[in-house]
Amino acid sequence: MAGIRVQNIEKVFGRVKALDGVSLEVRDQEFVVLLGPSGCGKTTLLRIIAGLEHTEGGRVFIGERDVTALPPRARKIAMVFQNYAVFPHLTVYENIAFGLRMQKAPPERVKAQVDRAATLMHIENLLGRYPAQLSGGQRQRVAVARALAVEPEVLLMDEPLSNLDALLRLEMRAELKRLLAESRTTTLYVTHDQVEAMSLADRIAVMNAGRLVQYDTPMKVYQEPADTFVGGFIGSPPMNFLRLPIEGNRAKLESFALELPSPPPGPEVLLGVRPEDLEAYLEPQPQSFPAEVLVVEPLGPHLLLTLMREQQPLKVTVPPDFPARPGQTLWLRPQPGRLRWLEPESGKALASSA
Amino acid sequence: MNARLVYLTLAVLLALWVLVPIFLIATLALSDRASVFAWPKGILPQHFSLETISFFFGVEGVGKAIRNSLVVAGLTLLFALLLGAPAGYALARYRFAGADAYRILILMTRAFPLAILAIPLSVQFIHLGLYDTPLGVALVHTALALPFAVLVTGSLFLGIPKELEEAAWTLGCSRVQAFVRVVLPLALPGLTATAIFAFVISWNEVFAATLLTLRERTLPAFLLSALNDSPLPFRFAGGFFLIVPALVFIFVIRRYLFTLWGIANR
Amino acid sequence: MRSERYIPYLLVLPSVLFLLFLFAWPLLEALLLSIRGAGGEWTLENFQRMAADLYFKDAIKYTVLLAVVVVPLQVVLALCLALLLGGIGKGRDLFLYVWTIPLGISDLAAGIVWLAIFTERGYLNSFLQALGVIQEPRLWLSYETPAILFLAVVAAEVWRATAIVFVILVAGLQLIPKEYGEAAEVFGASPWRRFWKVTLPLLTPSLQVALILRTILALEVFAVVVALGGRNLPVLAGEAYYWYNAYQNPGVAAAYSVLILGISVVATLVYLRLMRSRQEAAV
Repeated sequence: MAGIRVQNIEKVFGRVKALDGVSLEVRDQEFVVLLGPSGCGKTTLLRIIAGLEHTEGGRVFIGERDVTALPPRARKIAMVFQNYAVFPHLTVYENIAFGLRMQKAPPERVKAQVDRAATLMHIENLLGRYPAQLSGGQRQRVAVARALAVEPEVLLMDEPLSNLDALLRLEMRAELKRLLAESRTTTLYVTHDQVEAMSLADRIAVMNAGRLVQYDTPMKVYQEPADTFVGGFIGSPPMNFLRLPIEGNRAKLESFALELPSPPPGPEVLLGVRPEDLEAYLEPQPQSFPAEVLVVEPLGPHLLLTLMREQQPLKVTVPPDFPARPGQTLWLRPQPGRLRWLEPESGKALASSA
Repeated sequence: MNARLVYLTLAVLLALWVLVPIFLIATLALSDRASVFAWPKGILPQHFSLETISFFFGVEGVGKAIRNSLVVAGLTLLFALLLGAPAGYALARYRFAGADAYRILILMTRAFPLAILAIPLSVQFIHLGLYDTPLGVALVHTALALPFAVLVTGSLFLGIPKELEEAAWTLGCSRVQAFVRVVLPLALPGLTATAIFAFVISWNEVFAATLLTLRERTLPAFLLSALNDSPLPFRFAGGFFLIVPALVFIFVIRRYLFTLWGIANR
Repeated sequence: MRSERYIPYLLVLPSVLFLLFLFAWPLLEALLLSIRGAGGEWTLENFQRMAADLYFKDAIKYTVLLAVVVVPLQVVLALCLALLLGGIGKGRDLFLYVWTIPLGISDLAAGIVWLAIFTERGYLNSFLQALGVIQEPRLWLSYETPAILFLAVVAAEVWRATAIVFVILVAGLQLIPKEYGEAAEVFGASPWRRFWKVTLPLLTPSLQVALILRTILALEVFAVVVALGGRNLPVLAGEAYYWYNAYQNPGVAAAYSVLILGISVVATLVYLRLMRSRQEAAV
């Protein structure tokens, strides 16, 4: 087992700067998720770590070895690709055995490893089949088994679940989590799905436009986003951001004022509060502000309300039996302790929020 | 429904238009001498006989011509693949300065009349000792088949996802190993089809082959030079023999050819 | 890892070198051959001799005429075949195969095949006799009947080479997303209008390629003509052949090949021009 460390990775594609000085460390046996929207550079970073792309500056270390100049085969990694990349002309057995055969492992070891990996992925009965005879989900398992069979120092995964249908994705997510926790393999996992990231990661590295924006445990990233991007990207529906004027040293909300954790940045401040952290009332309450209901969406476990306050849209979740109607005015109370304050200009969070 | 019937009828008629002349020449080649000269001729074969064909094979020079054709076509196949497949791979996998210029160069070779190449080459080959050799003809035929080989192998390799090679790299393969273990097996059918088509192109070519040979003629060159002095049975048998191998090969690789030309099989 | 940059160039190099020797250089040599005289000096005498030759005018006439007649025929026929293919459900593969059979047939073989039909005791005459149109076999391929010989060549060429255009058009048709036609249909366009307004414009690139390719090939017509009529129907490539082989004069032969090249280039430019203005007009 080994950790991964990258320093100052730069990558340019044509005119576009895909990676702008990214540094990151994955600890031994840690499961880190690279999360971000399309084009943020997460897959590029993964491929650079794998050795499939060159970095234009910076270094890559796997297990304290500088692998920057080494080809993929010398890096002791295994990778699971988004489209599985299962070899069509080989049986499932030979696919899983491929890495071991390249290592010139003796046949007994090959068989032992293949069986072990196949059992872990529940595909023991498919070993004689060809990929064309398998479903997408089964092929995905073959891809994972193939990576596990070589017992790599580091496992790299590039959106392995995104081509599966929703139900299968849920199943596989749980399986992967259990599997990888047991085997304690250092894993770097790329996805654009923030639910996946929250579910699987020990730590999430949020990326945007070629930069690492926040790198912390899922709950920290969820509750204390580093900026408006993270707050808006993580959580569904995304965090609300209210522009509030500053009065004295406090933020003014309707008739009351809220304490700020640090000196105000300017005449205005952003209040970040999640839909579930705004309590809704039919009558005015202390420390609450009014907003008009625009849309009511019954989602099953709760109602998702879209409201408008002073030209700013808001989303709030309420219990399913809450009597909400479009056109109604509700009173919303932000839960203290769940608030996040950010600078309006840069979007960055103010130091040490409540 | 009516429209479909009309389409089908037209299609059948057009298919017959292609097939009937071939059928006719086959009949002539596989009948006895007298039938070849008979008049009027019925559509249906009268006497099946190998007389005409064996007459054809008995003519001096035919055996050698067939052998030469085989050698030349075989060499062409080899050269076209050895030169074309690496280039096709480069075009498929790499973005490099000059790729477009290269493609244009390749296309231009098809756009130029063969005569303009064969005549000066024929003169030069005399100096180089390549005149009247199967190798010389094969070189010219390779130039003819190369654009096809490059472009077709290019699209062939494009159809094999790069991810497969990358997966092989992460599993311990060098570039060459990945190519041999992963790409080649998958590309083999297409490469074979390309090779066979290069063979057919060479087998059928007549102008350059005639210009570049004297004693070591290929079959088409032999036929052409003897054409107007030879009796009809000879010509018909020769034509038939030119057609048959090509037809068989094209039939065998038809599915790949269609994919290679860009026609999907619904 | 840096050395990877050179890999594509290394892979491409052999074919580039090969084409340099077997294409670029002969091209140059042909031009030089045509303007060099017996003593090695620069001269136009090869071209002059070519132009003064008995067969020259006929060769140009018939070559260009053949191209002008055969190519449009083939394009229209290939278009019909390609569209027909779309209208057939089952059996599409069978027809696709049969209609592309001629691609594997050498032009010499095609000439011989149609010789069997047009020859004195051939199938055409037998057919006509069976219909009662003629009693005695008629000579179709003699030099006294160049018009008929011409038509015979046209028939053989259309039979042989339509498949080339056909394949290009079928591939081109497939690239047209059927949503365009469906959208037109929803908006009320008849099949004919759909063809003119949707299919044909989108097919123009393929048509362009097919036309240029086929015309260049048509200008090189040789073996079919020889098989059917020997030198009774002179054509440029044939004359080049005779001057090289029979008269042992590479200079004039080269002059003929340069002429073929010239006509091909002109034709290509004309097509490109026409197609471009069509596309601009359509926009």
